[in-house]
Amino acid sequence: MRVSEQTAYPWVTLGLVAVSIFASVGGAGCGRPSVDTIRVAVAGPMTGDQSKQGTDLKNGVELAVTDWNEKGGVLGKRIELLVGDDQHDPKQAVAIANKFVNSGVVGVVGHWNSSASIPASEVYHGANISMITPASTNPQVTDRGYTNVFRVCGRDDQQGKVAAEFVVTQLKAKRVAVLHDKTTYGQGLADEFKKSLNASGGGRVEVVYYSGITQGDKDFRGVLTTVASKKPDVYFFGGIYPEGGLLVKQAREVGLKAPMVSGDGVIDPVFVQIAGEAAEGTYLTFSPDTTKLPTAQEVLKKYRARYGEPGPYSFYAYDAAQVLLRAIQSAGTTDGSKISQAIHISRYDGITGRLQFDSKGDLLTTQYVVWITKNGTFEEFWAPSGT
Amino acid sequence: MFFQQIVNGLALGAVYALIALGYTMVYGILELINFAHGEIYMIGAYLGILLLTFFTVVGLTQNHLVLSLILVFVGSALYCAAYGLTLERVAYRPLRHAHRLSPLISAIGMSIFLQNYVMLAQGSADKVFPHILLAEPITFLGVPVGPLQMFIILTSIVLMIGLHIFVKKTRLGKAMRATAQDKRMAGLVGIDINRVIAVTFVIGSILASAAGVMVAMYYGLVNFFIGYVAGIKAFTAAVLGGIGNIPGAMLGGFILGLVESLGASYISSEYKDVFAFLILIGVLILRPSGLLGEKASEKV
Repeated sequence: MRVSEQTAYPWVTLGLVAVSIFASVGGAGCGRPSVDTIRVAVAGPMTGDQSKQGTDLKNGVELAVTDWNEKGGVLGKRIELLVGDDQHDPKQAVAIANKFVNSGVVGVVGHWNSSASIPASEVYHGANISMITPASTNPQVTDRGYTNVFRVCGRDDQQGKVAAEFVVTQLKAKRVAVLHDKTTYGQGLADEFKKSLNASGGGRVEVVYYSGITQGDKDFRGVLTTVASKKPDVYFFGGIYPEGGLLVKQAREVGLKAPMVSGDGVIDPVFVQIAGEAAEGTYLTFSPDTTKLPTAQEVLKKYRARYGEPGPYSFYAYDAAQVLLRAIQSAGTTDGSKISQAIHISRYDGITGRLQFDSKGDLLTTQYVVWITKNGTFEEFWAPSGT
Repeated sequence: MFFQQIVNGLALGAVYALIALGYTMVYGILELINFAHGEIYMIGAYLGILLLTFFTVVGLTQNHLVLSLILVFVGSALYCAAYGLTLERVAYRPLRHAHRLSPLISAIGMSIFLQNYVMLAQGSADKVFPHILLAEPITFLGVPVGPLQMFIILTSIVLMIGLHIFVKKTRLGKAMRATAQDKRMAGLVGIDINRVIAVTFVIGSILASAAGVMVAMYYGLVNFFIGYVAGIKAFTAAVLGGIGNIPGAMLGGFILGLVESLGASYISSEYKDVFAFLILIGVLILRPSGLLGEKASEKV
């Protein structure tokens, strides 16, 4: 074999692989809506490892749209729902957002991941389309001063504070390890947690380890072995359930016995499926159980009949769609800035609680509580004082 | 902790090595990087999960764990061998005399096809492995070692020794080495080249399927794109050891696993994947023929 060919060959192949990565990105466009329909859209990770959450979002919005269509639609027109799959990829989220803009969408419910919501909201902002995310908790989603961006969930600075208070006052931890998945959401939450830990711990709590892992990776034994060697009382994880499940499972295997505390990205039955018994006794922060709210029972019944058991964000998606459609109705137009204005002044008792927005687009009242995993399901465990 | 990280790295490296063998053997004979090889590994992992779930449902794993594990490995190996054979027949044999870039593009095409085919057939969500194997670590010389880690390392070593004996001692192994040295001459002395190539694909696929099943057990979940990163890492391992060289692929796999594991713990876990590709770039610049790649006469 000639040496020059042997050396050149891997380079050529690497280049071709790089090309093949981008080959999968694409999407079909669709024309403008017909005159007697109004288009709204829902976007989230509809395929891939986080597809469960995207599907929950889609189902919640679909249910609200069906309700409205049965009552005659909005502004006397039928509502058409477009579904966008961002595959929790920021690049794909921007592509989807552009596709929505080109298809004449009036408002968007989504996205799920903060790392998708933030770049996509730039596109919606440029096109003057209202966007309500039911799940993106990173402060940056609403902190950039865009009047068209809203959320019907809490913020990570609130969430991280509750988690830190719980770790300090309830678990009485002195040594804490912090891991995150390097995404906008995961790292953001981990940083907020760390910040609040110093505040509520009064300097007595030591962060013994802080590092990121890669989303989509499957082997965390290396980093967990290091975490175990620091002997933490608790370890915190900012990230989503596929990695969260693997972390607690592998932590057990490397002899790390400290409990895991995480955020709202982990609350999904798949977390328990992946982790099995290791999931028992892990904690996470999330809003109070929506399926137990008296206001949610009617929708819950309808949801179960149609799609089965709702996910943690199904009802937030439903409420986000309600807020959007009500705003379109009260604005009396499909003009984006008028709709955003209508959302800002709206006050609506949704199934998840009072939905009223401050000037940034955050909810005026939100609440985080701590949940525990017990017997394979999530249940509410502890609420911070003063709520 | 250091020893524990070594065990973590060896378990990871064993898997890379098993997949890398498939790359290196095919390259040794055809001078083709079989980019669809990672997908064979992914299919093996799926088969592992599906079969083990099936055996758990019918109650076999609870009573006869060893028997059901053997059945899972054999079943997955047969299925993957059939895929490997078909792949060679459909995507590479018709291009045997074409320009050398053509089979490479065909390989990338097959990789994309198989990924999407599995996604459509099995869904895009993660498939979770049934929890039947004990996960509690065993303390060995004061270090907690996962039983699965030992299982992976030992199984891989047994398979590699088996491969070594096959290549060195059997007639078919000799035919493989001859084909790798000179295809035309091997044909002239009466070796059925097509059969040797088919056998090479079958063996590579069996090794990849074993890696897939073990990874499915080890991580407890699979999805349709695990073959991509694993394939690239294993390819790196093969290049590191010297592509076309069987002991090189084994060595490369273990080195890569150790570097990832130690790098993640002592330098930064955020750069875990970076280490693998830094090694690849380093090897390509400093020693393009790989660590063991100089002995060209023994490249099978």
